[in-house]
Parts: sequence; structure tokens; C-alpha cells
Amino acid sequence: MSKVFALIDCNNFFVSCERLFRPDLETKPVVVLSSGDGCAVARSNEAKALGVPMGAPVFKHRELFEKHHIVKFSANFELYGDISKRITALLATITPRIEIYSVDESFLDLTELPIQDYEAWGRKVRAAIMKDIGIPVSIGVAGSKTLAKLAAEIAKQHTGYRGAFSFIDLAEHRREAALGSMRVEEIWGVGRRLAPKLRSSGISNALALSRMLPRHAQQLMGVHGRQMVSELNGTACLSFTPEHAPAKSILRSRTFGEDTSQVHVLEAAVATLGARAAFSLRKDELLARRIGLFTNTNRNKPGYQRWVREIKLNTPTNDSGYIISTLVDELDEFVSSAQHYHQLGVFLYDLVPQSELQTDLLGYVDTAHHDRAQARMQALDQVNAKWGRGKLYYAAERLSDRWQPKHQIRSPRFVSKWDELPEARIV
Amino acid sequence: MKEEKQPDGISVHTGFPNPATDTSLRSLDLNQLLIQHSASTYFFRVRGDQWQNDGVFDGDIAIVDRSLDPRKNDTVIWWDEHQDSFAISPYRSMPAGATLWGVISSTIHQFRKINHE
Repeated sequence: MSKVFALIDCNNFFVSCERLFRPDLETKPVVVLSSGDGCAVARSNEAKALGVPMGAPVFKHRELFEKHHIVKFSANFELYGDISKRITALLATITPRIEIYSVDESFLDLTELPIQDYEAWGRKVRAAIMKDIGIPVSIGVAGSKTLAKLAAEIAKQHTGYRGAFSFIDLAEHRREAALGSMRVEEIWGVGRRLAPKLRSSGISNALALSRMLPRHAQQLMGVHGRQMVSELNGTACLSFTPEHAPAKSILRSRTFGEDTSQVHVLEAAVATLGARAAFSLRKDELLARRIGLFTNTNRNKPGYQRWVREIKLNTPTNDSGYIISTLVDELDEFVSSAQHYHQLGVFLYDLVPQSELQTDLLGYVDTAHHDRAQARMQALDQVNAKWGRGKLYYAAERLSDRWQPKHQIRSPRFVSKWDELPEARIV
Repeated sequence: MKEEKQPDGISVHTGFPNPATDTSLRSLDLNQLLIQHSASTYFFRVRGDQWQNDGVFDGDIAIVDRSLDPRKNDTVIWWDEHQDSFAISPYRSMPAGATLWGVISSTIHQFRKINHE
């Protein structure tokens, strides 16, 4: 049986979340800025039309922002995460076969569902998400994930489709017109690297790519290209993975609220980010075989420098204490009070399931030590689960909070703090 | 509950089994009472003291379920574009052209606040 997939894609998701509690901004240009308030990571249609590029650093476009009174928000991830969970919960009432692709995109496998008219179905789902949760979405339906993603993009760009577009049972001339209207850059899997390659081979839109001979696609782009051509013709090649896929690597990084030269501020950042990363590791029941950290000065200032250190561990671990002390030792080896550090991150990778702790051949793995660490981490996580995140912590985490990003223009945490609820007046 | 004395001094409880270990029995849950659709339920802080006689006080929490369709006697939250703020009123007195935000299903008044920190 051929497959049917839907992509539910939230329109300018972070901006839509802000507008839910600020209906006055419905038709105004709005952007959401990354942590550290550096760059625009979400733009309303109005902001896009004014020419604010994705990832635009505010300081480079200050005039544009001021001239058009573009409204800026610092990212409010507690809000976006909560709204995202609500959308997933609503979609889960349609089918349990959901693949959460990102905070604002989910695939549904509709193959087994008795749906007659996919566009009518899509419009109904879109209306339900708009009414119940308050977020506008675009919905694409097709026989493959790549084509469903393209269909959602078509639905988003052409208001005439009222938010839903389906390639299933589409008349041939309409299918060709739809594919012909989409530039290769808009196809999922055509990155910045492949697009010029395709264009120089005379392939500028999705229709041309779909007509490429699989053999040629493979010569030009490898197996990935061959798959892409099949997917564009509605044959599913990419797998659908509804289960929570365990992380392949974990990164926790922050741009500092202010640049710092003080070692203890950096140590506090390493400890806090290290503890958070180790916690995610334990939540997925994983151990890391390699851990590392990076830090850099401000990229936009002269003398930009970046340092990266990584360590291969003899015994894989998810022990916060061990990870923190190892990384702080590493930091202390190169850190200098002559530098102005701007950003710092901790990463854990080469992850293995906890159940697969293998002794290395020479027997260096100290299992007794490992078991004691596990018991300690279990106690730590239980205390924090019961009394709230961050109640029990490593002393190094609180050496300083001067590295914490500033959220000067963050909206209230409307849905996660009792004392920040939106207000309504009796009239 | 009887307690039988065993010869070696160990006592054994042979009474009525504890019904609380039966997992089909659940303690009362306020979420179940107050929240019908968790995905579409939001909380607001009520401002204004005109409705004290009806038992709604400044500072109360309004539970808003966006999935409900408003009926004549419902109390609703809508966006008041002239005041640039959310407004609470009976559905029937919502001004024409105003945008409905959601239907209030309950309000909560706390006589004593729980200190969460």
C-alpha cells in the first residue's frame, strides 16, 4: 500500500506564540531574537516583507528596525515549548503515528486513516489548532515526507489554498504547476551546497528535479539525490520514526549576558551547562564516551578567537560531578584573563546506552566506581524531580551568574509561572 | 484488624486488605474537576472588583478553555483593541467586531495563598 504523510508546519512559530498573548501585534512586523538577543531567529511575514533577513544581527540592521518600528522579543523558550507540546497533544488525538521533526514541525503517517479529501481534512485540523491552541499552521499531504514538506510550503505561500495542500490524487497538470512553482532551494534536502550544483545543471525548480533520471541524480548528488527524486515523485524513501529517537550528541551553549575575563564566571558557566547536559544524558539513559567544551570571543570584534577542547574518557559516564570537574580542569589549562570571552558551550558525544557499559580490554573500567556514581546521580535527579529543577546543585554552578544571558525584552512566562499570567479586566 | 500472636513472637496482620493499594481507586484530582481539555486550557489573572458580589475577585485565576464554543450565558475573554488589553465580560455583552479569545470555565479564589518558593 502506498504511504500518505502529512506535515503540520507552524507559521513563523515563535512570532505566533508571542502574538497569542499580544493580539495587538497581529498585523505588525515582529521578530524574535536568539539568546543574548543577537540575531532574528523568527520573523513575522511583515518583517520578512520589510527585508529583515533570517539570522540578521540586530546591530547591523538597527536603522531598519527603528524606521519601521519592528517589535523585538527575546526568545521565550518556556512559552514556545509549552505551546509546541499542546499542538503535539492535539495531533496525538488524530493518530499515534507522529514524528516530531522540530519544535514547530511534525509529520503524521495517515496511511491507515480513512480520509477521503486530504485538503478538507487539512483545513479542519488547521482550524482546530487555530481555535483550540491559537497558532496558525500550514498543512501539506503527499506520498512522501519530502513532498509533504513541499506541499506545506505551497499551502503557506498561496493563501488561496486556505492553509492545506495535497499532492494525493492531484490532476497531472496541477501537479506539474505546483512543482514548477517551487524553486530547488525550497526543497527539503537541497542545501546551500547542492542548490548551485543543480542550477548549473539547468535544474531550477522541483518539477525539473522530479524529472531527473535517477541515475543522473545519483551521479550528481549521490544516493541522497536518487532518494530525493523518488520522494518528489511521491514514493516514500525516508523512514518514519514515531518513537523518541535518543540523542546522538548533546550540546548546551550560551552567549553571555556580558563578555567576561574572569575565570570563575567561565567555571560557573561550564558547571551549569555541564550539569544540564549530563541530566539530559541520564534522561535518555545514555553514557558519553567523549566530552568537550568550546569558548570564543565576540565574532564581530577584532581579534576573534575560538578554543575547542575534547577528552576521550576511559569509562563512559553520565556523572555530573565527573563531567564538571574534568571540563573545569580542561578550561583552566587555556583560559586567560587577557581575553574577553563571549560564548561558551559544553558538548557530550559518542553516546552509548547505559545498559551497554562494556569493560575495556585492559580492564581499566572501574565498575564499583561507576555504580557509586549512578546511585549518586539517581539521588540527585530524584531530589530535583520532587522539589523542582535546580534545588540540588554542584557548588561550582553558583560561583557566579554573570554569564547568564540577558532577557531584557522577553515576554512574561505566560503559561509556566503563576505570577506571570496574562491579565484580563472585568468590563 | 486482628493481630495474631505467633509462637516465635512475630505478629501477623490478618485484617481487611488496604483498599488504597488497589490502583483502580484514585484520589480526587483538581485537574480532573476543572480542566476538560488540557491542550486548549490557559490561565489568566482577573483584574477589577466589580463582580465581588458574584464571587469573582481581583487577583483570582480564570481558567479559559479555547476549545469551547461560547453560549449565551457564558463569561468570555476577548481582546479589547481600544484599551490594548484583554477584557472579561458576559458573552452577550461582548462588543460586535471584538475578537473572542476563549470561554472561561471556572475562576479560582484562594483565601490563603500557598507559598511556592
